[in-house]
This record gives sequence, structure tokens and C-alpha cells, in this order.
Amino acid sequence: MTDATLPAALRIAPLVEGDVSLGGLDDTVRTWSEKTPPRSWYIAITITSLVALGGFAAIGYMLYTGIGVLGNNLPVVWGFLIINFVFWVGIGHAGTLISVILYLFRQRWRNAISRIAEATTVFAFMCAMIFPAIHVGRPWLPYWLIPYPNQRGMWVNFRSPLIWDVFAVLTYFSVSLMFWYLGLIPDLATLRSTTKSRFKRVVFRLLSLGWVGNAWHWLQYEKAYLLLAGLTTVLALSVHSIVSMDFASSMVPGWHMTIFPPYFVVGAAFSGFAGVVLVFAFVRTAMHLEEYVTPRHMDLLNRMVLFLSCVMAYAYLMEGFTAWYSADPYVKYVFATYVFGGQWWAGWLTITLNCILPQLLWFPRLRRSVPIMVIVSAGVTLGMWMERYTIIVLSLKRDYLPSSWGGYLPTPVDWAILIGSVGFFLTMLLLFLRKLPVIAAWEVKPDIVYYQKQRTEAGHV
Amino acid sequence: MSDRVFGVLGLYRDADALLAAIPEVKASGFTRLEAFTPYPVHGMDEALDLPKSMLGVLVFLMGALACVSAFTFEWWTSTVSYPLRTAGKAMNGWPGWVLVMVEATILVSTFTAAFGMLFVFNKLPFFGNPMLETDALPAFTRDRFALVVMSGRGRLDVEAAKAALRAAGGDALEVIPEPERVRASAGWWMRTVVGLVTVCFLAGYGMDWATRTYPTVRPMVNMEVQPRLDPEAPDAFFANGRGMQRPPDGAVARGYLPILAATPEDAGKELVDPLPVTAAVLARGRHMFDLHCAVCHDRLGTGKPWLDSTYQAQPVDLQSAPMRDAADGFLYWVISQGIRTMPGYAADISQDDRWAIVRYIRALQRSQNATAEDVK
Repeated sequence: MTDATLPAALRIAPLVEGDVSLGGLDDTVRTWSEKTPPRSWYIAITITSLVALGGFAAIGYMLYTGIGVLGNNLPVVWGFLIINFVFWVGIGHAGTLISVILYLFRQRWRNAISRIAEATTVFAFMCAMIFPAIHVGRPWLPYWLIPYPNQRGMWVNFRSPLIWDVFAVLTYFSVSLMFWYLGLIPDLATLRSTTKSRFKRVVFRLLSLGWVGNAWHWLQYEKAYLLLAGLTTVLALSVHSIVSMDFASSMVPGWHMTIFPPYFVVGAAFSGFAGVVLVFAFVRTAMHLEEYVTPRHMDLLNRMVLFLSCVMAYAYLMEGFTAWYSADPYVKYVFATYVFGGQWWAGWLTITLNCILPQLLWFPRLRRSVPIMVIVSAGVTLGMWMERYTIIVLSLKRDYLPSSWGGYLPTPVDWAILIGSVGFFLTMLLLFLRKLPVIAAWEVKPDIVYYQKQRTEAGHV
Repeated sequence: MSDRVFGVLGLYRDADALLAAIPEVKASGFTRLEAFTPYPVHGMDEALDLPKSMLGVLVFLMGALACVSAFTFEWWTSTVSYPLRTAGKAMNGWPGWVLVMVEATILVSTFTAAFGMLFVFNKLPFFGNPMLETDALPAFTRDRFALVVMSGRGRLDVEAAKAALRAAGGDALEVIPEPERVRASAGWWMRTVVGLVTVCFLAGYGMDWATRTYPTVRPMVNMEVQPRLDPEAPDAFFANGRGMQRPPDGAVARGYLPILAATPEDAGKELVDPLPVTAAVLARGRHMFDLHCAVCHDRLGTGKPWLDSTYQAQPVDLQSAPMRDAADGFLYWVISQGIRTMPGYAADISQDDRWAIVRYIRALQRSQNATAEDVK
């Protein structure tokens, strides 16, 4: 049974295109690792690393001068740094969701994109973890968050959501780093056997731990992969739930809601998928991955963005409904300020970019158009940042007592740290694309064999 | 290189060819087979009679252990080691601990899955694998599939194995020699141990020397170094160069009015208890009495000190008749100025608190010498 017997409208495009082979995939995977990358790579990394250095300089200035150089103050005590933290943690959910949840659902199209998605997760979490560490008032003491035996005879408060957050974020980062490395081992083994550089052979030999692809090893490996997929799914869903509890377990009107955990998880998945679309829109053509990351892949990713956009719209509506149904004048007032207050544009930007703009993706042609998907996913990325801005700043500045109301104005240092974190993320991503296999070759190879077989059969028909 | 044989390798075009070859080679009488593939090939476990992976059991056990440990740890820190009541919740409020238990369970079980697979079951890292030295290595990690007839303790009919592999469709046949196992000599061990010990000593003494020679780097000192005046610190602002100025002569601190009476008897005639008659005053008096007076005069004022006999002073029995008859002002004067070996408390206890103590002494005296009138 092949697709060739079906009418054209019902045919599903294969997940690989063109004249592909197992060896050809290995050569594609290490394009930039074995050959000189194009000049644009050098230009890009120069810019991004300078931006990252600027961001780190701003962080250094903030640490040296004091946290007063930032815009946050009473009552808006959580400013850009916490917005950026939640934003990057959200982006960091893409890798796990694509790599793990889609794996459990046997979605084979995730094979070609999982590696870059996992890398996105690792780098986004590196960005995210900077922010809480530098946001504490005494940045030389954040290790106090870890419960370790100490001379003070004190322990952390395990009932505090901030401590749950420490556990969730550190667990998630270490597990996603390990998961990423685990997936890399067979591909590093391939690189080790084929690379021409002596230095790389030594490095890859060590990193691939002597992997030779023994059938017994593969059996264990797949078992571990399945176990990790199941466990990491729980982890991914728990992490942003816990981040949301930093907010939901406080008494601030607009934060104290039971909808927050699922609402944050959906938001994280949404921004994560948009981030992956954005990365692939550029990487696909820059690295000539079109044969393995086909328009069908982009189409499916965009469908996920569209689906999650609709769930987001539902979550926003339910949030508003909860505020109205609570009959609590403070909560109702804060929600009114989201869309009709002094910073009404923040709320409307959130709704427009997250719920209205992605509706373009209902059209199949637009789902496959690179400019449209870049606009939509960039819009979603910005929109999700605005959502966190709305939740954090607009709720805090209108607390219960009008006497404690205040304003918030970010300073240039705030902006520099935010933009610097984007530069750091892109620098890490560019280095990854340059040095490591960008596609999980061992996962895509069976797909290639499957479609080759299908094509041969079709030829016989 | 020894002339012992590790195995004979044949390469196959694709996974189907490999799966078809395995039973054929087996039929030729070779049962110790291993397959090497660039990606996991399903059906290989049945073809090669591979046992089931026990990884799941290990992961479950470690995950359960982590869950229980996390709970125990949270219970112990929150209720035994550092009981700190927050938000009016019970000390052993376990619902708040669940999320940390979840994260700890996931952390330990995922790392058990990964490291258990790599280190325990697959015995990696292993760089002495003869397969790493074969010419076919680039092929079977890329797009070819290798089948190896393994030798049992170095004994293998190489030609027969080659023939069997070729008959099953294999090519690029390769005899893999058993690698030479070189035992480390005593000299090697000597050099290694001496070298490691030297490195440790040098590193330790280097750190010690560095920390003694160079001052500790203290980044961000702005919490310690502040534009503020510490007590007793000099300052150029005043003519006398002191940062902390003495109060002007004759200044009286609030709540610490000096007593003008020269003797306790005079004070007894002149001073009157200024406090209102309330339960709060008595409670305050009791608190201050227990804090400052009870250690010598006892909680009931009987004058039996809690201190042992090396403490020579003999405090006055406040229940004695002279003390019961003494005026309020008399007691107030004694508390303030001290008498015999008792020091004055004017600098430590405020005026109102001293009067509250007097009031409480009165209550104590009445309680210990109650009459039938008192209970009517």
C-alpha cells in the first residue's frame, strides 16, 4: 500500500524530499562542522557575540553599582528580569515538547527537528537561569537556595514556591542537557569515524564514549530513550506549572488564580513552537536542510502554533471570565487595566499577536510561506513577552491599596540585559550549528530507508 | 598484535539484508553473533536472541528511592532540624513538599535511565573495543550494517566463518584480531602514583601560598562599605573630631527621670506609684521581675537564689515583714540605685517598668500572705 495509489489530494508528502541517502544525511548533518561555513555565519556570530558581551557588561555594571540601576522598585518589584526569566523558560519548552511528547505520540516528523529543538531548550534555559541569579538582592549568595548542611544550622523553606522553582528549573536544565547529549552520542560516533581533523577525532572519540552501534547497546539505548521521554513529559509539564505558582500562590490581584499552571504551560509550549519555527525558517535554507526539513515539517509546526494560539485565546477568555465571576472588585479592576488602563497597549498587543495574528495559519499556503511564518512566529515571540509584561508589571502596579499604586519604567540597563540575553542565545545556537550534528541522523535514517523502500515499490507498481 | 582472533566481520547493504543473513549464518553453526548498525534496527532482539532490558526495573527502584528520600529529607528539615512555622501552617504540612518530591524523583530516575544504560548495561565508556579499530567502522556507523561472528576464547575457524558470512550476502570481510592486553608494569604504577601525589601537594601548597600572599578578592563590597557613621568612629564634622557627640550636660532621657531622694526612706515618703491599676501593668511587672529579679530573689520573691552556693550574696526575702511594710517609693529607690551588693537597675530598666515591678512585688506579697478577707 503506497500513497501512489491515492488521488493527489489525499497523498501525504513524504518526510524526506529529493535524492537522499543515509550517507548523504551524514554529510548534510556535518556541513558546517567539516567545511567552512558561509561568510554570513561569521558576520552573524560577530554581531550576536558583541550583543551578548554588551548584555554581560550591563549585568556587570548592575552587579557593581547595585540593583538600583534597574527600573524595578516598589510596588513593581519584579521587572524585566523576571519577565525575561519566564519568557526564556517558556521558549525552553519547545525542545522537550517536540522531542519527547511528539516522540510518545509516534510523530515521525519530529525526528528531523528534534536536535535543534533540544539545543534551543538548553540555550534558552542557560539564558533563563541568569535572571533569577542576578535578581536576588545579594548576588553573591544565590547558593543559599540549595538545601545543603551549613554552619548557620538553617534549611530552606520547602513550602515556598520559590524553592519549588529552584528544584524545577535546575532539574529541567540538567535533564534537558543530559537528554540532548544522550541523543548526540550515536551521531558523534559517526563523526568520530569519518572526520578528517585529528583534533576533532580525539574530542569526538571521548564524547561518543566508544559507541559502536552494537545491537544490544541500541536495545538498551531505545529503552532508556523511551523511559526518558515518559519521565521528561511529566517534568516539562511540571516546570512551567511551578513557575506559575510563584505568581499564583501570592495574593496579588491578577495572579491569585487556579488557572495559572495550565495557562502558563500552554503559553510556554506556544512560545516554544514559535521559537522553533523562527529558528528553522532561517536554518533550513542557510544549512541546506530542505531535503530533510520539508515544507510538510514547517506546515505541521505551524499547525501546532495555530492550535496552541487557539488554546491561548481560550485561556485569556477564561482568565477574564474568572476575574468577572469572582466578583472581586480588585481582580476585576486589575483586569480592566490590562486592556483599558494607562498601558492598554500591552494587553491589546498580547491579544493581537498571540490570538489574532496566528489565525493566518488556517490557510495551507500561508503555513508554507516562509515570510508569513517568520512574521507570525516573531509576532508570537514578542506577544508572549508582552503577555508576561502585562501579567507582572500591570498587576503589581495596581495593588489593593490605591496609596501603594505606582509605575514602572525600564532603564537602559534593563533593555541591555534583555537584548544581551537574545545575543547570548543566538551565539550559542550559531556555535552549535557550526560544531555539532544539527539533525539527529540516527533517528532520521530509518525514515529515509522507509521512503526509499516506498519509492521502489511505487516504481514497480 | 596477537594472532588470536576477536571475530570475523561482514558488511551488509541494508537492515533487511542483515536480518536475513543472521539465521543463515546461524544455520552454518556459528551462534556467537553480534550486529553493529548505524541506527536501531527493530527485530534485532529476536534475531539475535537478545535478553530483555532490565533498565526499567532499575529506574523504578531508584525513582522510588528518590521519592522516599526527598519526603524524608523535607520532613526532617522542616520538623526536626529546623522547625520554622510559616504562614500559620503545620510543621509537617506535606502537601507543600509534593512538588519537590516530584522533581527529585524525575531527576534521579532520568539520570538513572541515562547513566544506567550507558555505564551499567552498555559498559561505556570503553575505548579498548576492537570494533573501534576495524576498517569497517566508518561504514557501519554511517550506512552499512555489520555482522560479526565472535570467537569463543580466541578459537574460531576463520575461513569457515568468512564463507558463512559471504554465503549470507556479506562483503568487505575482515578478520578482527584480539587486541594485545598489556599489563601495566610496576614502574608505570610507581610513576603514576608519585606523579599524582606530587600534583596534589603542589596544588595544595600553591593554593595555600596564594591565599596567604594575596588578599581575598571581595567583589561588590557596597553592602559592607557604606556612607555611614559607625559608633565611636571619628568624623571631621564636629570640632572635637568625634562622630558620636555626647548629650549636653543635664539632658534627661525620656522614661529615665533621675531620683532626687538621697535615701530609700526619703524616697518612701516622697515618691508615689504613677501607674494606673490595670492587668497589663501587672503582666508587664511580672515579665520584668522574672527577667531581672527572679534569678536572685526567686519567682515568689522569697530570696532563695537559683544560683549555687559559690554565689555568696544573700538576697533580701521580699516576703519578710520589713519589706511588706516598706513604702512603694522605698522599693523603687532600691531597684533604681541598688543597695549593699545589689546593683542599681536605673540604666537597664525604664522608669515605668521599675514601677511595674514594684506593683508586682506587692501582688506577690499579698498572694503569699493572703487572709480570709482576700478570698471573700
